[in-house]
This record gives sequence, structure tokens and C-alpha cells, in this order.
Amino acid sequence: MKEERIKRILLTLGILFVIVFCLLPFAWMVAVSFSETPDFLIRGNYGFTIKNYLDILRLENLHFLDYLKNSLLVSGIVAIFSALIGALAAYAVSRLSFPGKVVIVLSVLALSMFPQISVVGYLYKFMSNIGWINTYNAMIFPYVAFSLPLAFWMLMSYFSQIPKEIDDAALVDGANRFQTLVRVILPITLPGFLSAILLLFMFSFNEFLFALMLTTDFRARTVPVGIALFQGLHGELPWGYIMAASAISSIPVILIALFFQRRIIQGLTRGAVKQ
Amino acid sequence: MMKRFFLLVLISFVFSSGCSKKESLLTFAVGGAPNEVDYWEKLIGEFENRTHIRVKLLRQPTDTDIRRQSLVTPLNAKEKDPDLFLMDVAWIAQFAASGWLLPMDPYVKKDSFDTTQLFGSVVHQVDIYKGEIISMPVYIDCGLLYFRRDLLKKYGYSTPKTWDDLLQCAEKIQGKERKNNSGFFGFVWQGAQYEGLVCNFIEFIASNGGNIVSKAGSITVYSKENIQALQFMRNLIHKYQISPPNTFTEMREEEVRTFFENGNALFERNWPYAWKLHNSQGSPVRGKVGITLLPKFDNGRHAASLGGWHIGISRYSDKKDEAWELVKFILSYETQKKLCLNLSWNPARIDIYDDPEVKEKMPHMEVLKKAFESTVARPNSPYYTQVSELLQRYVNAAISGKIEPNEALKEAQRGIEKIVERYHE
Amino acid sequence: MNREIREAFFFILPLGIFVLLLMLLPVIGSFWISLWQDVSFLPRKFTGLGNYFRLFKDFQFWQSAGFTLIFSFASVTLEMVAGTIIALVLNESFRFRGIMRGTALLPWAIPSVIGARIWQLIYRYDYGLANYVLRGTSGLSVNWLGSSGGAFLSLVLADSWRTTPFVAIILLAGLQSVPQGLYEQAKIDGANLFQRFFKVTLPVIKPVVIVALIFRTIDALRVFDIIYVITGGGPGGFTTSVSLYSYKYFLLGDFGYGSTVSIFLFIIAFTVAFLYIRAGRFREAAL
Repeated sequence: MKEERIKRILLTLGILFVIVFCLLPFAWMVAVSFSETPDFLIRGNYGFTIKNYLDILRLENLHFLDYLKNSLLVSGIVAIFSALIGALAAYAVSRLSFPGKVVIVLSVLALSMFPQISVVGYLYKFMSNIGWINTYNAMIFPYVAFSLPLAFWMLMSYFSQIPKEIDDAALVDGANRFQTLVRVILPITLPGFLSAILLLFMFSFNEFLFALMLTTDFRARTVPVGIALFQGLHGELPWGYIMAASAISSIPVILIALFFQRRIIQGLTRGAVKQ
Repeated sequence: MMKRFFLLVLISFVFSSGCSKKESLLTFAVGGAPNEVDYWEKLIGEFENRTHIRVKLLRQPTDTDIRRQSLVTPLNAKEKDPDLFLMDVAWIAQFAASGWLLPMDPYVKKDSFDTTQLFGSVVHQVDIYKGEIISMPVYIDCGLLYFRRDLLKKYGYSTPKTWDDLLQCAEKIQGKERKNNSGFFGFVWQGAQYEGLVCNFIEFIASNGGNIVSKAGSITVYSKENIQALQFMRNLIHKYQISPPNTFTEMREEEVRTFFENGNALFERNWPYAWKLHNSQGSPVRGKVGITLLPKFDNGRHAASLGGWHIGISRYSDKKDEAWELVKFILSYETQKKLCLNLSWNPARIDIYDDPEVKEKMPHMEVLKKAFESTVARPNSPYYTQVSELLQRYVNAAISGKIEPNEALKEAQRGIEKIVERYHE
Repeated sequence: MNREIREAFFFILPLGIFVLLLMLLPVIGSFWISLWQDVSFLPRKFTGLGNYFRLFKDFQFWQSAGFTLIFSFASVTLEMVAGTIIALVLNESFRFRGIMRGTALLPWAIPSVIGARIWQLIYRYDYGLANYVLRGTSGLSVNWLGSSGGAFLSLVLADSWRTTPFVAIILLAGLQSVPQGLYEQAKIDGANLFQRFFKVTLPVIKPVVIVALIFRTIDALRVFDIIYVITGGGPGGFTTSVSLYSYKYFLLGDFGYGSTVSIFLFIIAFTVAFLYIRAGRFREAAL
């Protein structure tokens, strides 16, 4: 029984650790975003205000809403395409028999380890030549490519749980492979497919280096770049604005993380821990 | 089925590229302190009313390095936006050598624009590349010493002429002021690792008789005078402790300005733009600030880094004629005077300095004019950015106490030689 | 049979095209650029391996390579420890466990730049949270981003904060696969809580630990975002990661050398990945 008590104490400590470790920085972000001055700790008076939020939403020349729009559009498009393309490949690998399967699976795994910096120099020159700098396309195409390994691995693990007999039944009914995938497999794995889309969305929403290098202004710039370069838009780092913008931009991904935590955890672990 | 799917993919991509079509406006990239950019917006409004050319102001950060970065990216990619932009003196050589700037001579000739109204020495040093005018000065900057008149008077000190004066005075007053304000420091300046640090560095070394000697194919920083000056910069933070310990991490123009403006410092090194802000409504130091030349060492001279911003038109612009109209507008007597009165910028036009209204409202322009006589330029070469980046690193390392000044400059010298060897054409 | 191969080909084709055009081709392209003198203000000139020779003599580069390695090692170690703790907690059953799991995910869910901005302000010398707490408890102020050690620690902490959830989740999956019977057996054998963790849990989740290690190490080696935001590579260039070093050359207009640095990182990351993949026996797992 003594051991039970130790365990209880450890667990309580652990829960406290998780809460403080994970949430304290968020609390700080929110606190600063609602304060008149970021140095309220040493000033001693907090000065609650929602001006920071109103300003970043209202002041057009800060372009925060542009960044947010760009981010949501680009990430949304990327998530859907990447999931679809990943689904095709994952279907082939989990369903069809063909030579070189192992090589493909392993190379996709290896691809997920490509350092972005090793391609961004060339991409920049390439996108310049075809006039795509500062367009959505400049981000969408590389993002799709770089998120494909994740999409592929997650979907493959979902698909391989479904017995092949289901395919065979559909094939006997005269459907071709593509129809089988779209009409039979995807509906069955729909929750998994959706969680893949959400994860892929987060992946693109968070991307920084490509967006930094391939966009030049508010017409295509995404939230991470906007927030990183917010620096000095208003002289001394406008911490109130930065934190308000951060808080607003975090809302979509936080909602996804909270409501779909089970699915995300599944998706991540299925892709990574496959035994 | 497959075909339809691919068609879908294709259509969506076409659609998505349609989403980000580029507007056709004259785009002008401007950065600076908030009030400056706000004022630019007002000026642009006047320009639009007068010429019916629509302009989109691209607000850039204050931070010079980030401003450069957000210009280099589109220019390297031959983007047509921004059409024109403000450039720091230090970048112009690189921009010109890279062929990004449109020569303005045809326009100058066509409109018989009188360039002699502008500071001739600056134009010759900076704005002419291979015999062509590739930019125009908009305003001229130089480093100044701001001080708290009220505090100097209270403790009975006069304006410091030498660094020794400044040191003694700062140590004494800092000690006394600390009793009420524990965060009070004697002297704030720009020590973070960025371009501004090089400007500060150049002032310290030049005031000690040192310099960065820049000739064709060689740049020299390693000298006895330079080492001494660097040692002094470091001592300000670590030994005398009259400059805050975050000098070498966080102190850039705006951090320094607000620090001083909140009444937390006795002396401040900054550019002329701070004058107006220090004396604006609501500033705790309003009316208590004085300016003078930066101090010197016994064997040196008063020195001020030559800064300032120049306007250039992108070679890739699709609105070159409109861009030139805006250049003319910005360099007009009227606009230059407005910039001077409202932002306390030193006009690039000489005639403004004799304007009676300017003389009356801006008596400190006298000091500025004097400061101009003692400016020191940074090396003017296309690979200056590389040199500066390296210098920033070593100077910053030295003032943060990580390496000895002697070692720092020796290493910097070695690095610079490699850079020159590699990038000198 | 033949038909299936053809079908498989078409199904994998879109992925193949994207990967080929946007990942493989750019890497080869970067390598090609690295063979040139490609500077915005100098004539373009083929220099062969000239940039690579320069790389080997470039002290700054080796300093940043060293920093990147030590940084990766430190932050991955810290993440593994913290991740294990969080995974163990989340593996227990208690009220609000679902919410707790969601909470634990948050640092990882938000964009890294946002996390970096938050930490940057926490570390701020004069009015940051860290120094406020320190002053309150010990009267000290630490110049977090001003000293090499401080900046290093700050970055490791900020990076670990962001990525620990990822590690925790993967380890959690491993924990859930430990058969309860093994614990019961160990209990009967008289093993206490800690012995059970080291003797039963760890060996079973070892493969999962390796997976987490791989992903995190590779990710840490290419670290860019948080350093760009929090220190910008300072103080004195001490915290310039290899990615950031390469990026800085792009900005200076020297694409040739920037690409050389990035290709070097590519080789390192790939070597590590290759070694890990061999060690982790992915071949079997893939099938």
C-alpha cells in the first residue's frame, strides 16, 4: 500500500509538471496580449485592455488578417491535396503487389528527413524564374511535397487495417481500383483520413523557412513569417500586438489539438510506431 | 476516373494561383519608427491627390537587417514589386553592383532635375555608380549624443567633450540616481549584433584616431587605436557598468530610445530622429534633453557615422515613370521641409537648412550641421554586408566579454581578408 | 499481375512526381549551384569543388556545425526525459485525462515561430518572466540571451518545450503496448515501481524510443525557426545553426556558398537517418 501512495504522489507531481510545463508559456502569451504594456511585471500595474486585439484586426497596414487568410488558404489546400495524393500511394502500397515496394516505403521515410534548407536555395531560384515568388503556388507545391511522407505513412497504416477481402468484393462488382479506393476504402477510413488532413493542415500552418524565403509581402506572406517579422513594425518590438496575433493564430490549431487529440495521437503514432 | 481526378488537381492549382493575383499599384517599401511610417502614409496621400498615381506603401520593420532582407528577396528574384524603396547608405554598393537599381540619368536630364541642391559630397560618395546616378539621398543621418540637461545641471556637470568626461559624469550621476531608480544607467548605445553596432563601433574608433581603412582590394580594422576603442566599449558595460548588461543583446535604436525616453539613462547615442520623439507630448523627458557631438578620446576627433536613407527605383519595376514622379515629389523643397519639421530628419537638400521656419523651429539643426562636418563613412563596397556581418559578430563577442578585443579584431581582420579575397572582383 | 504493377505505378505516380520535382530535383539543383560562384554582384563562374574547399577551412562554419550537434544532443536528451515523464503520467487513468492529453499536445500544435516569440519574451532581460521569477526567488537577474551559455540553455529549453509533446505521444503509444501481464508478473517477483519501469517498461518500449530519437534528432539537426526568432544566431554568432548559417549566405547574395553549406547539412542528416534506419530495423516494420 505504501507503493500506491508513492505512485499517487508521483502522479500528482507529474500532472502538475505537465500543466505548468505546457500551459505556463501560453498563460504568459495571453497575459501580455491583454496588457497595456508588456513590462507590467516590473511596472506593477497590469492595465487590462483589448486594444491589442482590436488593433491587429483593425489596422490594415499591419496586414495581420492578410497573413491569416493566406495561411488558412494555403494550409487548407495543401492538406487536402497532400492527403489525396498520399492516399493514392498508400493504397497502392497496402493493396497491390508489385516489386520494389520496400524500397518505396523506405525512400518515403528517408524523404521525411530532408532538411528544408537544402532545397530552399534552388526553389527560390526556380520560383523566381517562373515568376512565382510571392504567390500561393510557391508555397503550395513544396508544402505538398514535404508533407507527403507524413500523409503516406499515416494513411498506409489506416489502410492496412482494412481486410483485403473488402476490396476484392468491390472489384468483383466491377469497380476499378480507383473506384474501390474512393467509394469503399476512404469512407471506411474516413475518420482516419480526416485526422490526416488535420495533421497535414497543422504541418503547413506551422511552416516557416519556405514561406520566409518565397514570399515578399502581405499578398502571400503567412502567419509565422508575419509574426517573426512583426519585429519593429512598430519600433520597439510591439509585444502586445505580437502576442495578440499569436493568440489568435493559435486558436485554430489549439482547437484541432483539443478536440481531435485522440485522432492526432493515433495518426502520429500509427505512422511512427508500426510494428 | 483517374483522368477526372487529375483534372481536379490541375484545376485547383490553377484556381489557387488565381487567388494571389498581383495588384498593379506603385509599391513603395518604407520602414522606420512607427511615427515615421505613419507620416510617410500621409505624404503618399498628398502625392496621390496631386498626381492620381495610386501608391501602395509596404511597411517594413525598423530593423535595418530585416529591411534589407525584405528587399533582397524580391530583387534577387527580379520581382516587379516593390517599384521603389528606401535604402540604407550601407547597402547601395551591393544593390548597384548587383544591377538592381535603375539609372536615373535619363529622367534627371528629361526633367532637368537639379542635383546640385542635394548634399554633393554624399551624392558623389554613394549615389553615383559607374558614372550613373542610381539613387538619391532622402535624408542624411549621423550619430549624436543625447543628454539629460536637467540632470547635468542638478549635479553641476557641463556637457562632456571627451569620453573621460562622459565616464566620470555618468558614474557619479548614475550612483546618485540609482537611489530613486534602481534601473538607471549612465549611457545607452546600440550594442546588439546588427548593423547599428558597426556604426557605433566606427564612431568609437574614429574618436580615438582609428578607422576602418578601405582601399581597393583591402580593408583594415586591426590597429592599436581600434583595439583601445573596442576595449573602452567593453569596459562601459563590464568594468564601469554605466551601460546596461543587455547592451550587447537587445539594444538597438528603438530599445535605446525608449530606455532613455523613460528617464532611465543620462546619455544616449542615437540618430537625429530621436530628438522629435524625446520632445513629443507625453514623453517623460520632454524639454529636458540636449544634443551635442559624440565625445572623443584625447588623441582623436569628434566622429559621427554617416547614415541616412536613399531612394532607388528597381530595375525590374513595371512603373518606372510613376516611380520617378514619386522620387521627384519626395525630393521637392516642400516635402523635404515637411520631413524635416515633422520627423526632425536632416534634409538631403542643402537649401532647407537656410529656411527661416526651419531655423526657428529647429534650432538644434545647428548642432547637426556641425556633426555633418565630422562624419565617417562605412566602407563602400558591394560586399560590405559580408564585412559588416563579420565585424558585428566579433565586435559583439568582444563587448559581451567572450573574447579579448585584441583577439577579436585580429580574427575579424583575418576573416575580412578572406572575404575581400573571395568577393573582390 | 502485370496489370497490378501498372495500376500501382499510376497510383504512386502523383507522389513520385511531387517528390521528384520538389524534393529530389531541388537537392540536385542545390548541389549544382554549390559548384558555382553564384554571387549577386559577381560574374557567374564554375568553380567545381571550390566552395567545398572553402567550407573545410571556414572556422565559422565548423563552429556552427559544432553548435548544431551539441544543441541537437542536449535538446533531444531533455525531450526524451521530459517526454517519458509526460507519457507515464498520461498513461495512468485519472479524471480529465482526455483534456490533459489535449493540453500536453498544445506546445507542439502551435507554429514554432509563435512558441519562439513567447519564449523570447520570457527570456527578456528587463521585464521577462524568467528574470521576474528569478529575482523574486533569488534576487538574481540572468542575461539569458546575452551569454553563450545562457543563450544555449534558453534555446534548448524553448526547443524542448515545443517538441516534448511529440516525443511523449510516441512513447505513450509504446507504453500502451506493454502487456499488463508483465507488470503483474514483476510485481509478484517483488519488483518495486522503479524497478518495474527499468526492467519491464523500458525494454518493451525500446523500439519506440528509437523511432522518437530518429525523428527528433533529424529535426533538431535542421533547427532554424526558433533560433532565427529568439537569438538570430547571437550572441557573437555563437548560436548560429547550420541551417541559419546557410540562410545568411543566401541573404548576402552568395547562393553558391549558401548551397554548399546546405548540401553539407543534407549529407549529415542523411547519414544519421541512414544509420538510425538500419539500427531501427525499419525494413521489417515496413512490411
